Amino acid sequence: MVSMHDLPPGKRVSGYFAQKAQVLKASIFLTRKLFFADPQWVIPNIIAPFVFTMVAFFLFQGQTSGSSFLLYLVLGSGLMGMWGTTIYASANSIGFDRWNGTMEATLAAPVPLSWIALGRVLFNTLQGVLNAVFILVIGLAWFRVGFSLVNPAAFFLASVATFLSLSSFGLLMTTVLLLSRKGGFITNSMEIPVYIATGTMFPIILLPIVYLPFAFMLAPTWGIEAIRIAALPGYVGLPTTYWEDMVIMAAETFAYLGLAFFLFKRVEAYAKRIGTLEEY
Amino acid sequence: MQVLEQKQANAESREWAVWVKGLTREYTTRNFFGGVTRSTWALSGIDFQIAYGELFGLIGPNGAGKTTTIKILTTLLTPTGGDALILGLDVRKDLYEIRRRIGIVFGGERGLYNRVSAVDNLRYFSDLYGVDPGVARKRIPQLLEVVGLSGREKERVEKYSRGMKQRLHIAKALVHDPELIFLDEPTIGLDPAGARDIRNMVRDLKAQGKTILLTTHYMFEAEELCQRVGVISKGKIVALDTPSELKNMVRDISVIDLRTYGATMDYVEALRALPNVVRVVADLESEQQSIRIQTPLGADLLPKVVAALPEGAKIIDRTIKEPTLEDAYLRLVEE
Repeated sequence: MVSMHDLPPGKRVSGYFAQKAQVLKASIFLTRKLFFADPQWVIPNIIAPFVFTMVAFFLFQGQTSGSSFLLYLVLGSGLMGMWGTTIYASANSIGFDRWNGTMEATLAAPVPLSWIALGRVLFNTLQGVLNAVFILVIGLAWFRVGFSLVNPAAFFLASVATFLSLSSFGLLMTTVLLLSRKGGFITNSMEIPVYIATGTMFPIILLPIVYLPFAFMLAPTWGIEAIRIAALPGYVGLPTTYWEDMVIMAAETFAYLGLAFFLFKRVEAYAKRIGTLEEY
Repeated sequence: MQVLEQKQANAESREWAVWVKGLTREYTTRNFFGGVTRSTWALSGIDFQIAYGELFGLIGPNGAGKTTTIKILTTLLTPTGGDALILGLDVRKDLYEIRRRIGIVFGGERGLYNRVSAVDNLRYFSDLYGVDPGVARKRIPQLLEVVGLSGREKERVEKYSRGMKQRLHIAKALVHDPELIFLDEPTIGLDPAGARDIRNMVRDLKAQGKTILLTTHYMFEAEELCQRVGVISKGKIVALDTPSELKNMVRDISVIDLRTYGATMDYVEALRALPNVVRVVADLESEQQSIRIQTPLGADLLPKVVAALPEGAKIIDRTIKEPTLEDAYLRLVEE
């Protein structure tokens, strides 16, 4: 029988990066466990992508069969799924703790809340990637879309960068939900307009000019452009090159990250000042 | 001279595990334009200290300021004024270092991820608290054994009873081997056996040399466990002493405990109106009612107590006792 006296001392990990990596790992693992513990995960991750793909393909079926335009649609549908999952999950990444009753315990941990949230958002965005991959598989297998990429390495790089940019945007959205109990409304209401603004289903150049500044502020806009340039032969989109798209996306990603970390500091200070952040 | 005094004060404050001086906290409600519409002082300048290795109790009625005090000391809430040092560290500046060295047991159902297992909860919090993974691999199963959850550790927490969840709360608070532990009403809502288990764990922690701050609504618990008790009422510490010294404050009275059948609120009011009755506390919810009468007369009051009984009501059991911490507490918070 073990007693309190037999417990080994709680030796700690040392080093800034090792500590942060440990928090990220813990946050990602817990989010994964919680995600699969809820059977509802099937709806946004299997059913919704399937519906997205079906709608897109049946709309254009017959007109463009076999052409690279179908790949254009597959990539767009994938990004729609990825975006939808990211925005939905990031809104719930820390807000979940509020209604689960674990907000106080999370806020009491000796690590900045932003690192806990980052781990959760990373897992949620990864979920979005799986969502996108699922759409690709449906498109390729069911609708027999050819998948010959112009530059596979550039495609892979742009996909990873888009994944990171979506995560950073998700992190930013998490602060919105934390600051306001109506944050869920704000983040959910962003889901559909972004489908239009980022040009997932059509070139954004077709949008009225007044919407373009909003579209340009969204990193996924540049991500989709870069992915399509790398994937589609003779793709004509915005008058930017692959690398220009990548640089703009990276700059916006860093801006989102900087703003998110700044806002998290403010949120934590605000939480300590009002003392009611844990209330649902 | 002033600098020297300040240095001495700093040195003195660091000799305590918890050092609180003039702590205040105001809650304000603001309107849309930022103007203050309502202001409430939850703490109005409290002072107390807790020695290293001491088990200190903080008792008080709902809304007295216990939770606000705990939130400030655990760095979850910023004080409006005053100072508080935890293990020599400032609650305003040294947040993360304090958090690494303290453990918190929240009362009630809060604080656990119910859809995953006890092991998953402990692994998660051990990582957040930076425990070396090699140490955590040994410490977590042993902790689960200590709190009596071995064999059930892989079940989802949502399947646990209230008592099991509370034991897991304790394991979670200990996962990083803290020096100071805050127990916020750890036995609330537990059955007698569950509450006894928790109290035994608290004793073990004390024996291990941990410093503990316990808040509780149960006076016998504070009396049984705590070396010193602070009584907080309306945001102020109204008394702070050992349980026996606090009980001395009500040495002038005896307590008549009645178990009755058919007693009503009218009977309680009639008892309150009797001469030499200091206080009457009644629980009339159950089929058998319990009534506690504080009086300097002791057994001499009994004939009047019996005479005041309404028709059809009867006294099942009566005991005359020495006053307890509860009697001292009632006097303090009602003054």
